[in-house]
Parts: sequence; C-alpha cells; structure tokens
Amino acid sequence: MTEKITVAITGNPNVGKTSIFNAITDSKQHVGNWPGVTVERKIGKRVHNDIEMEIVDLPGTYSLTAYSLDEIIARDFIIEEKPDIVVQVIDATNLERNLYLTTQLMELGVKMIIALNMTDLALAKGDSIDAENMQEFLEIPVVSTIGSKGNGIEGLLDAVAGEIDKTQFTESVFTYEEEIENNADELGSILGTDPYFAHYPLRWFSMKLLEGDENIIKKARESDSYTRINEILSKIDADSLEAKIADQRYKTIQAMLRQVCDINTEHLSGSDMVDRVVTNRVLGIPIFLSLMWAAFEITFTFATPFMNIIDIFFGWLAETATNVINIPWLASLVGEGMIAGVGSVLIFLPNILLLFFMLSLMEDSGYMSRAAFIMDKLMSKIGLHGKSFIPLIMGFGCNVPAIMATRTIEDTRDRLITILITPFMSCGARLPVYVLLAGAFFGRDAGVVIFSLYAFGILVAIVSAKLMRSTILRGEDAPFIMELPSYKIPTLKGSTIHMWERGKIYLKKAGTIILIGVVGVWLLASIPAPGSGGIFASEEIYGSTNSVIGVIGVMLEPLVAPLGFDWRIAVALLFGVVAKEIVVGSMGVLYGVGENEASLSAVLAAGAMTPLAGLGLMVFTLLYAPCFACIGVIKRETGSWKWTMFQLLYGTGLAWGSAFVVYQVGSRMGLLA
Amino acid sequence: MKQNHENKELIFAALAGALYTIFGIFHIAEGLGINTATASQLFVPGDILGGFCLVVIGAVFLYGLKEMKQGINAGVSFVYVGILMSLVFMGAYLLIMGGTLLDSFIVPDDYEGWSIMETFRPGIYLGLLSLAGILHWKDRFSLNEVLVFREGA
Repeated sequence: MTEKITVAITGNPNVGKTSIFNAITDSKQHVGNWPGVTVERKIGKRVHNDIEMEIVDLPGTYSLTAYSLDEIIARDFIIEEKPDIVVQVIDATNLERNLYLTTQLMELGVKMIIALNMTDLALAKGDSIDAENMQEFLEIPVVSTIGSKGNGIEGLLDAVAGEIDKTQFTESVFTYEEEIENNADELGSILGTDPYFAHYPLRWFSMKLLEGDENIIKKARESDSYTRINEILSKIDADSLEAKIADQRYKTIQAMLRQVCDINTEHLSGSDMVDRVVTNRVLGIPIFLSLMWAAFEITFTFATPFMNIIDIFFGWLAETATNVINIPWLASLVGEGMIAGVGSVLIFLPNILLLFFMLSLMEDSGYMSRAAFIMDKLMSKIGLHGKSFIPLIMGFGCNVPAIMATRTIEDTRDRLITILITPFMSCGARLPVYVLLAGAFFGRDAGVVIFSLYAFGILVAIVSAKLMRSTILRGEDAPFIMELPSYKIPTLKGSTIHMWERGKIYLKKAGTIILIGVVGVWLLASIPAPGSGGIFASEEIYGSTNSVIGVIGVMLEPLVAPLGFDWRIAVALLFGVVAKEIVVGSMGVLYGVGENEASLSAVLAAGAMTPLAGLGLMVFTLLYAPCFACIGVIKRETGSWKWTMFQLLYGTGLAWGSAFVVYQVGSRMGLLA
Repeated sequence: MKQNHENKELIFAALAGALYTIFGIFHIAEGLGINTATASQLFVPGDILGGFCLVVIGAVFLYGLKEMKQGINAGVSFVYVGILMSLVFMGAYLLIMGGTLLDSFIVPDDYEGWSIMETFRPGIYLGLLSLAGILHWKDRFSLNEVLVFREGA
C-alpha cells in the first residue's frame, strides 16, 4: 500500500530550493498561485520507496518571524498545513546565515531534514564541512546535495522516507538565559490551558510572543487568554529580548560551526569580509560615525586654502569693480551687491564639492547600503523603516531629491514621517552658513561644531519621528529587507562625475536664484524708506535702517531679538527661505563686505555678532523652514498643504525654541562669552 | 605553516588594537583638558571625536583578536578591515596636513609662529604600522573592480 505524505521545501532565498525541487519532481509538477495571493506556488509529485510524496516548494524566507508576503506564506504553510516533513535547503557556502532559519524550525518542533546544498562550491572555496558531525550536533539528518546536477537527491529522498517512519523524534529546544526561560515558561503555561492554541507548538509560540512578533501577537489577541498574556508582555522589553534571543541563536550556530566545519577565510570574498566588520552589531554604528566624521573633518580643513583663494579673488574683484565703475550706485550694485553677495556663496564651493565627493565615494563603494542596514535597528526603534535611512542620508546633499527618494518606502506613514523629517538633515546649502559662522567663532574646533550640527539635525529628526509615530502618525513599523550590493572600488572618474553633477546645481543656483536674491537684497537695501529723505544707494541709506530692507528688518527684529540676532539676520533668514545660500549672500550684502577688505567671517568675528548668537544662528538655519524648492516637493509628495504647513510651522517653531535655548541659557551660564 | 600565519595576524591585531585604543584615549583625555607631557611629545592633540575614531579602529582590531582567539578564522576580516580603516584615517590626516600647509602659504599672517608639526598626529604615524601590514599581506588585497581578498597567501 502506498503511503502519501507532504514534503515542504524551505530555505533562504537563492539557496537552490527550486533546483532541488526540480530534481526531485522532474516534470511531474504544476504551477499555480497560493490561495488568495499572486505568489507562485509549485507542487510536484514523486514516488520513492512506495511513498507518494507531494513536494511543495515554499517561497524563500530568512526567518520564521514573518514580515514579507513570501515569509508569511512559508511560515503559515508549515504551521497551519503541517507538512509531514520539512526539508530545509542550506547554502553550504553561507552556513551562518542559513542556520538561523534552522534554529527557528527546530524550535517549531517540526520533523525536518537538512539538504546541505552547493557543497561543490563550498569545496571549491576550500571549506570543509563535516555533514555527519553536523547531523550529530543538530540531531537532524543532514544530506549533502548539488541540486543543479541532481547529486544527492536519492539520498535526500531516502532520508525523507527513513525519517517519516520514525515514530519518535527529538524536539530540539535551545536554552536561553533565565529571564527569557522564565517568561517563556509562564506564557507556555497560559497557552497550554487555552484550547485556542492547541493547534500551535507552544514553546515556539511563546518565544515569538517574547520576540514581539506582531503577526503572532495579533493571533493571540483573538484568544480568551490575551489579557493574561498581555500582562506578561507588558512587563518585558520585546526589543531587548528579541536581540538577546537572536544573539543566543547565533552563539549556538557559531559554536556548532567551530565543531563541524573549517571555513577557509583565505577564500572569503572582500565583500564578505568587509560586511562581517561594517555590519557588526557592536561596531557597525561607531564605524559609520567615524567615517562620517573623517568626511566632515576633510571637508572643513582641506577646503580652507581653496576657500581663501576664492575669498581673496572676490575681494579683489569687488574692490576693482568699485574703483573702475564711476557711477556710484552701479559700483555699489556690482561691488557690494553682485560680487560680494555671489562671492560670499561661491567661497563655499570647495566645501560643497569635497562633501559631495566623499558622499559619492561612500555611495559608489556600496557602503551606504550597509549604513542603511546597520541603522535599521535604530530606525525601527524610532518607528521608521530602514529604507528611510537612504533618503535621510541623501538629505545631506540636497533635501529635494531626498524627499523624492522616499517613494521607495511602501508604508504611507513611514513615508510621510520621512518626508517631514528630511528637511532636518543639513543639506549642502546650509553648509556655507555653518562654515562661515563656525570658522568665524570656533577656529580650529570648527570641524567639531559642524559635525555636531549634522548630528543635532539627525537627533532632531529621530526625536521628531518618534514623536510623530507615537502621536499623529501611529502604526506598526514594517521590517527591513534589502539586498546588499557587492562592494566596488569607487573610481575617481565616477565619483568626480557625481560630485560635479551635484556641484553644478550649486553653481547654477549661485548664477540664478542667488544672484537674483542678492540683487534683490541690494536693491531693498539701497532704496530709501518712505519719509527717510535719503538718496538711492547712497552711503547713508545703503544697508541702514533707513532703507526699505532696514524697515522690514526692524519690524522683524523683535521676533529674533531673544535669539541674539539683529535686524540684518532677520532679513537674511527671511530671504533664506528662497534658498538657504542666500542667508550668507544677504549677510555679505548687509554687512557691507564688498567695500571692506575684511571678509564676512572677519567682520562677524570682530564683534558684529557674539559666538553664542552665531551658534544659535547655525541651529536656526538647520531647523527652520526649508527652501522654496523643498516646500514645493513636500507639497507634491504629500499631496497636502496641511502636512506642508505642518512641516514649516513645526520646523520654524523648533528652530526658534532651540536658538532661544542656545542663546538665553548660554548667556546666563556665561558660555562662549 | 598556517599556524605561524595566524600567529602573525594575532600579534598584529593585539599590537595595533592596543596602540590605537591607547592613543585614542590620549586624544580624548587631552580634549577633556587632562594634559600630559607624554601626550605632547607624541603629538597627541586634544580631540575628543578624533580620539573616538582611533578607539573605534582599535576596537576593530581587538574584536578580530577576540574572534581569532575563539577559533573563528573569519575574525581575520577585522584585521584587514582595521588596516583599511587606519589607512583611510592616515590619508585623511595627511590631506588635512597638506591643506593647512597650503593655507599657511596663502594667508601667512594667520600662521605666524606656526610649524607644520602642529598638524602632525598619531593617526599618521600609527598608519605606518598598517602600511607595513598591507605590504606584508598585500597578496590578500586586490584592487580589481570588485574588491576581493585574493585566494591563498
């Protein structure tokens, strides 16, 4: 009599499941969709040793904490459909990652067999794996296979037939630390008394509850015991327990790997080696911070001589223009308005280009994807998706494309939050303000101050995201799944092109919006205010409180006076909404840099502003309303004026509050006096 | 033979890890205002964040040492990546040194009484150790389009 059984083939993506499935079923298979979803479902038949096997090829899954549709299908099939046996296909060249799923299947208590696939590739790499030793360690049959060539398939089917007849099998359970075990036992005793859970392996269900698996918690909510379950869950920190459980599993895997195989590290690829280090759970984030700090330090320090060259050039050009042009108002327009204004912005071109160059190096090498990967844990803690990290990092270049890049985020809440916090990332246009003020007031510590501002922007973004996630945009966070590309040595040509493409935008802006902006500022600074009786562009009127701009500035001054800013800064900030570079350009015009030999930086350092007010101005520039282009793209991407206005008001409110704290608290404490 | 090879990496990881960590702590201490004569003789500036970076590089080497001692052969990855990181920082400091020197020619007034040695720092001379490391294990590093640590040594 023929026995009928169901065999599920599971494993990580790209481990050769389908080649094993094809080798087993040959042409006796049919393809359809899983019930209710359009994910390919492959079922085949094979008779072996009088056993009729229905083979089901499950979608690839990294773990049994189901996030994606593929993973939910795979997990639900194993739990709900209860196949007679599960064959886990393991990539022998990547044991550590694949065995993580093994630990979870073992906890599930299913009857299973391991197909150690791609053993030919492992051998070619010089790895030696002792399958027998592995079988002994795991107490699970392990069969070496080469699915693409059909090797080991008969042995695998023999193992299935042999295992199916076993009436007793050991349910391998890992032992975790006391806190986890106690909680698991407590939950297990509750689940055991509720018939609703009779269908599930109790130990596994308890562990999933402790890991904070949303899908499992949702199932538990439907039971009568949920109040008692929730009492236990509310006392624990699921994030911390999840990390501890994963850590224990990896320790077990590493202990086993040491016993059963000898990985030839001389054959590890560069990508693998670098990934082991830069995605390390302990060192990943410090390494990322160190590299970013090095980038900012170079941006500020190495660019200084080139900035000075541009500064000297524009100083000479403004002076020459003023001397050559005989018409006083035109000389003032060209010297103090156009050249000084645009020069004040162009001086920062070396910084911009260097920063873009270094960000390009990181992106082109493939490191930025890893940065997103290592930041995912932190991102999920603040209620965001790992994918949000890439737009945020892009925001360091320019907020506009960064906001557009949020289109890759599927969850609408995640996307909206990312859009709303991206303007807190210091874009390239804010860098001139930082470099100017940090250079003027903080000397050799300027690099540290600038780095701190970038870090402060990130902190504000994180806190804001957490705040929004827990109030106006509540919802569950989605998991991070991302394919990491291989590392590449970035080419000088490639990175230079990327740098130039971004730098060109800055130059274009300097030649258009910023030029128009500074000419506008000059014009308003030259037109006498009604009733002042002055003459257009005269020395008495230009840039004084008797000019139109002076009147506007004086009107605005009470708003910014508590922050230590004068009317000139109020005007510069107002014009900065057009483009952030205009903040510096306007200051260049309003502080009359054109006619002075001293640079704007020297004018400010000489007492035009206090260091504390300078720090407050940097903080204000970082947080307040983004530029027009950015506002436009926020409106377009959110499709809502409500959210656009929210970002503007929220950001400007935060900016004012933060600058107020910096100036007022700092003044009272006598800091930076 | 293989044992000798691993021993070399263990010794290198221990030495580089200890040196980078100690010098990193020196930087941080100086940055916090704890001045020592030794630190100034070794060109250690007061630089908390720079010190943090050196400690991170030291930690990478020491993590590799820990793994290799536990028998995890792949721990050697940390030694190689530690070498790459320290060379990146050495390059960064050399660029900064060059930039400052160039600036002293452009605006000499700002640099009265200044000497180039003021920009010399441990990140540069410690990098020489990594340079020796990369020269010794140069066969492991291949600068093809795809970064590959070559087979065999």
